[in-house]
Amino acid sequence: MDVFANLAAGIAGVLSPINLLLLASGVLVGMIVGVMPGLGPSAGLAILLPLTFGLDPVGAIVMLAAVYYGAMYGGTITSVLINTPGESATVASTFDGYPLAKQGRAAPALVIAAVASFVAGTIGAVLISVAAPVTAGVAASFGPPELFMLVILGLLTLIVVIGKKRLLGIISVLIGFALATVGIDIGGGQQRYTFGSTELINGIDFIPVAIGVFGVGEILWNLYCGAHRERLGYFDLKRASRRFWPTGADWVESRWSMLRGSVLGFFVGATPGAGATVASLMSYSMEKSVSKRPERFGKGAMAGLAGPEAANNAASAGAMVPLLTLGIPGSASTAVLLGGFLMWGLQPGPLLMQDEPDFAWTLIGSMYLGNVMLLLVNIFCIPAFAKVAKVRFQILAPVVIVLCVLGTFAVNGSIVEVGIMLGCGVLGFFMRRFGLSPAALVIALVLGPLAEETLRQSLIISEGSFGVFVDRPVSLALLCFLPVLCLLPIAVKLWRRRVSPAAVPVEAQPTEPGGDHEALDTAEHETNR
Amino acid sequence: MYKTIVALVTAFLLTTTLAACGAEQSGGGMSGGSAENYPEQPLEWTIAFGPGGGNDIMSRTLVDILKKEKLYPKDIAVENKEGGSGAVGWGYVFSKKGNPYHVSTTSGSFITTPLQADTGWTYKDFTLVGQLATDDSLFVVPKSSGITKWRQWEDQAKRKGKVTVGGIGTVNVDFILHAQLAKQAGYKIDYVPFNDEGQLLTAMTSGSLDAVVSNPSEVLGQVSGGRMNAVLFTGKEALPQLPDVPTANSLGFKNLVATPRGLLLPPDVPDNVRDWWIETMKKVGKTERWRAYLKDNNLIRDEAWGDDFEKELDATSKRFERILRAHGAIK
Repeated sequence: MDVFANLAAGIAGVLSPINLLLLASGVLVGMIVGVMPGLGPSAGLAILLPLTFGLDPVGAIVMLAAVYYGAMYGGTITSVLINTPGESATVASTFDGYPLAKQGRAAPALVIAAVASFVAGTIGAVLISVAAPVTAGVAASFGPPELFMLVILGLLTLIVVIGKKRLLGIISVLIGFALATVGIDIGGGQQRYTFGSTELINGIDFIPVAIGVFGVGEILWNLYCGAHRERLGYFDLKRASRRFWPTGADWVESRWSMLRGSVLGFFVGATPGAGATVASLMSYSMEKSVSKRPERFGKGAMAGLAGPEAANNAASAGAMVPLLTLGIPGSASTAVLLGGFLMWGLQPGPLLMQDEPDFAWTLIGSMYLGNVMLLLVNIFCIPAFAKVAKVRFQILAPVVIVLCVLGTFAVNGSIVEVGIMLGCGVLGFFMRRFGLSPAALVIALVLGPLAEETLRQSLIISEGSFGVFVDRPVSLALLCFLPVLCLLPIAVKLWRRRVSPAAVPVEAQPTEPGGDHEALDTAEHETNR
Repeated sequence: MYKTIVALVTAFLLTTTLAACGAEQSGGGMSGGSAENYPEQPLEWTIAFGPGGGNDIMSRTLVDILKKEKLYPKDIAVENKEGGSGAVGWGYVFSKKGNPYHVSTTSGSFITTPLQADTGWTYKDFTLVGQLATDDSLFVVPKSSGITKWRQWEDQAKRKGKVTVGGIGTVNVDFILHAQLAKQAGYKIDYVPFNDEGQLLTAMTSGSLDAVVSNPSEVLGQVSGGRMNAVLFTGKEALPQLPDVPTANSLGFKNLVATPRGLLLPPDVPDNVRDWWIETMKKVGKTERWRAYLKDNNLIRDEAWGDDFEKELDATSKRFERILRAHGAIK
């Protein structure tokens, strides 16, 4: 077990009382920051990075790793409770997390999400130890053509997100693309739709749009539906079991999703660009494809929360591979960390792991311990957070709106972005009113510009020839994977029909703890069959 | 019970928000200040970019030196105001006309952003203290190309007719450097702009680009790690870590642009305040800590004070404008 010796040393290096204290406080601070709509991991890291100026690298990295994970999980909390993703990687967590909370199952959903993150963190740490060189090699071969293909894979998952409402879905995607065109055109340097405003030079950011269409839009929509008149609030408390822990059926449903999401997330996350976002979306569509009951997705399927949660967490471990082995930041958060390396006087590059192995492994070790700490802290915190779901709408709504405004303002201190956020809130309301898909809009907003940028880069490189996508082996492999991804749901359906001609029976939702074992047993038989 | 808690939280949030708004206004009202016994008030230091970038690290180092060497007697509050490629942060400092208790630092965008957007200000509007150093670029090629000398690169570029090169952004130092080098050496380029350093470097490692220019801090690791070869450095002197890589000047290139690392004050700040800052910054430039910063961040000392700094910015701005206009990036 030589490969794990480094990991063990890294973990041991963190295990001092002061570091553990830094870890615990970092996780807590991160969670609080992350719960603020708008302040996701990268914003949280950026805000806290200056505090580490002058700190010794180990203490600083321990604290930042903890903040990173805390903020990430904080984003999940808002995704589940108030349908507001803190960053693009947690959009997929709203699809099933929020319906679960509405059904009064916020606590089990948050527990599953925390466990999924923990499992993903563990698998991620193991994969870094075992597969870092191979992964780094593949990541290094991701030029613009390969990235374009990967972004297209991400955009394809929109088919799953949109579902049956094709026309409305396409309109939602187009609104997203249209918003994404604002700002300086990377190819020529000209401004598009900025109307001379300096605030719009860098385009419309994902955060105000997401907070608007998800958070504010949802509140407005519930108001329109009369949630404020119902005395019981808009979370369905009648059906709410008093359970804190997920049921056995929940575990059974989500265990393979966690594993699949973790592995997928790690490798997709290692690629630069939108790794975590694409990974979580791909995981969602994969879970829906392989699920025995895909019709439950979007209505509160545990697997639809566990998969993407595991994927986005594993992706952050995956993103460490190019950062540490190549000196290349693959995501917004790792770019902030790279800034930190420079600040602490470390030289990022292919030699970082050789020259500063202690530092690199301490980073990996503290990321892992951050995960463990997160799980522990959450067991105490989830009941408190889950109570949000019991607050009546009349009280919750104004608080959420205030938090949305503060969160948006806090990211860049820009009042224009607050305006964009509120405008998008109204947009989000009308999108719900007319059956459009807010999720498709924000995904298009994130991936659209990346697709444009990488396509244009590819075509400049190839002097306008589309052959570049076929000439390069990795790009060709991804191109071949596209039809596989499209055909997977159909193939699974056909295969399932052949294996079990009788329709899969709908499992009874166990209401008593006694039922758990039974459900567990049946499911195990099914998988062993 | 929950109702009370939630109501309290809301009330708290609302009061803090309102208090913050109030503080902002009173801060504005207090501004002005007398210039005679300068400095006698706390200083507000604006960083026009996010934490962790070159501008941020320099600003925080300067503040650290000012505090440790007791060069500034009062408190210094540092704040990152990012957005609009620096337009937000510098726009804020611009709005503090005549107030000697605001300071900010320069980057390449200090010149380029006003060229491409209607910011309402240009570098000329500010009270310019001086430049301490320049942030120069390293020209690197993939190791697999086998090129180790600039001459080889030039020959290959001319033989190919056109080479594919990359950098960050279009209205930016990277593009202008590529354009200047290609024009003076006599080869043609296809420039591929990137938004993000990570993607630029992977494009290079994946074999998509023939060469890139980048900040030394970001690519030195790639060079020492044996993945890329550095063939030219645009600074006035060679980099201490790479003494064998020739400077652009030594190869006969002229007037190459660089990112100016300097200090500025709001418009119309009295001369005695500017002089105070020039003297203070000269002291900062002599400290051991500053020397270490320059070395660690691969900056080249290149000091120019007051009017000289303005002349340098004039020249840089003209070069930027001419090349960007020729490319059609600005009108």
